[in-house]
Amino acid sequence: MVAVHQVLPVFAARDASGNHAVAIRNAMRVMGITSEIFAGEVEPGARHGARTVRDVRPDRLAAVEPTVWMYHCSTGSSVADWWAGVPGVKVLDYHNITPSELLGPWEPYVGVEVDRGRAQVAALAAVADAAIADSSYNAAELISLGYESVTVVPILLDTDHLADEGVDDAALTSLRKRKRGAEWLFVSRLLPHKAQHDLIKAFAAYRLAYDPDAHLSLVGRVGSARYAEALTDFIEDLGLVEAIDVTGSVSDGELGARYRIADVYVSTSEHEGFGVPLLEAMAHDLPVVAYSCTAIPETVGKAALLLDDKSPTTVAAAVHRVITDVALRDALVDAGRRRLVEVGLPASTEQLRRAIAATLARAGISGPPALAAR
Amino acid sequence: MTEIDLVRLQSEINAEVKKRRAAGDFPLGLERELDSMFARYAPAGTGDDFGEVMIQAETLSFVHADIPTASRIAPLVPVKKMLRKLMAWYMRFLAQQVTAFAGAITRAVRLLGQRVDTLESVTVLAGRRTLSEVRERRASPDLDDWTDLVVSETVGAPGRVLHAECGRGALLAAAIAAGADAYGVEPVDALATDAAGAGLDVRADDALAHLQALPSGALGGLILSGCVDALPLGEVLELADRAAAVVTSGGVVIVLSGGPSAWSDGLDPVIADLTPGRPLRPQTWSHLLGQRGFCTPRIVLASSGPPPLQEVPTTTDGASVINANVARLNQLLFSPGYAVIARQP
Repeated sequence: MVAVHQVLPVFAARDASGNHAVAIRNAMRVMGITSEIFAGEVEPGARHGARTVRDVRPDRLAAVEPTVWMYHCSTGSSVADWWAGVPGVKVLDYHNITPSELLGPWEPYVGVEVDRGRAQVAALAAVADAAIADSSYNAAELISLGYESVTVVPILLDTDHLADEGVDDAALTSLRKRKRGAEWLFVSRLLPHKAQHDLIKAFAAYRLAYDPDAHLSLVGRVGSARYAEALTDFIEDLGLVEAIDVTGSVSDGELGARYRIADVYVSTSEHEGFGVPLLEAMAHDLPVVAYSCTAIPETVGKAALLLDDKSPTTVAAAVHRVITDVALRDALVDAGRRRLVEVGLPASTEQLRRAIAATLARAGISGPPALAAR
Repeated sequence: MTEIDLVRLQSEINAEVKKRRAAGDFPLGLERELDSMFARYAPAGTGDDFGEVMIQAETLSFVHADIPTASRIAPLVPVKKMLRKLMAWYMRFLAQQVTAFAGAITRAVRLLGQRVDTLESVTVLAGRRTLSEVRERRASPDLDDWTDLVVSETVGAPGRVLHAECGRGALLAAAIAAGADAYGVEPVDALATDAAGAGLDVRADDALAHLQALPSGALGGLILSGCVDALPLGEVLELADRAAAVVTSGGVVIVLSGGPSAWSDGLDPVIADLTPGRPLRPQTWSHLLGQRGFCTPRIVLASSGPPPLQEVPTTTDGASVINANVARLNQLLFSPGYAVIARQP
């Protein structure tokens, strides 16, 4: 037998990396491979899904069966040093580290941390037997950091169930009662590189030129308190307090309600290593308008109106077009459904299977039949 | 299953923005106003204000030893307080060391900043100060002689055409009338406002800053005028670099310059003396663009009027020698304005 264990700095509920790790574990187990998740820190509420690295003796596990240790990297962490020392085959799965120039001015300590994280990723090239990345954008970054070859394996997402979070009926009724104009939605943590401020600028231009009753929901927990405060002040300054909801973290039911009431999903994010919420929007049959940067184009494929320029007027005009052009809207929604099939679980699991099989073959380890080439 | 034509859509969205701008639905300067509103809340370092960044660094350089004792678990608060008390002697010692080090470093950086300020005030900033005065003093450029050439070179360009330093936009209007999808930038607010008032998509912006903000391959054509005659050499080279980056394959760059003689040929002395840069010779632009991968650049000299120094009649003794020298003097002293046209392969 063979084992593929995963290691994360932090394992949290409703977190893209955590969900990805769980999907990998499930896929491995279906193939007859032993698989567990270990993390430096397991957040309360997620303890059923993972154990801390303190609970594991890697040498003992490796003595039982050949073991692959997959490290999920999205920040600098002492867990990476722990992973570098484990016996067995080591695979680094890179989810990208936000550049410090985007975060540092707002959160200086985080800026220093992400710089250290990037240096750590470069240093890990010497110990990693293989590297995989969510997107070719991330893969290119790994290669620039000294990795010789990187395989692209998209995040394992069960796209059939991305819209299954349920709906809070009370929230939906209240949102419907309030709705007067176009409803914009963006879902992500409040962080400077997610550029909610640029979205607010575009929204202000849209209300000015097209729809004074339009409304914007910014859903997501606070990632930078300082940035969140600046957004609140900016919204007040623009006189848009009634027109923009900065909701913070919401329940699944409320998120479902906001997806259902929305007319368009708009992203002006500056940096995405993959971009799961874009696919979630497609799963809710929402047309997507997004600034084309980093890994966003390859995540959305042809299923979004991508913009090379995110000046407020351009974004406003693009959203107006999507809302008023029914044929375009329908085409985007249809394309979104097709995109979800393209990046769905079967396709990405197959890419993962190939990557793991190739890694084992290089290490001279034979895997279970389910891992063999199909 | 309908395939979405993104290129067509983007161009229609650009046209919509232009239309709304002309109608006043998107007021002139809206983007700039929104940017400056948010900038009020952004911390130092998101912009490029050295002084603000230094203040932030100096504030952060103080490391205090009073570790927070709040906790989501109430019983832990007194435990943390006790630990803080017990560790205070140790933490304070460390904090003082780190604060002293950080303070010395920030002080050194501030001193370095002062030296750079002094250096800049007699070099780069001097040019910038005079350039802004020169720009305010100059009239909208008269580029009428180049209308036919610009129109013929930009019609059918593989993307948007930008006229950098377009003045009131006369050339831009001609290009648009001929079917080009063109817009302009103009650093003098009054000229930009006049152009926008005439329904043109003209943004009040600095030519080089605008080019630096554009993504690679964003333009199908680029007309450079004004800035090419006034910017210092380093920024002219940067203009050439950016032109090579932003003009897409098959696109065209047209440099329109008054030529070196403009500085000795009836120019307002204040402008001539205070402008930080000088116009290059056409061969130099040809060299710079060729060096950056443009296909063999073409030079077109302006053909306005007879040469200032007249040739002597051929019957005069030594006429051939005199006339050769007259021609040479005309070329050296009164060389006309020129256009350099170069295409991306």
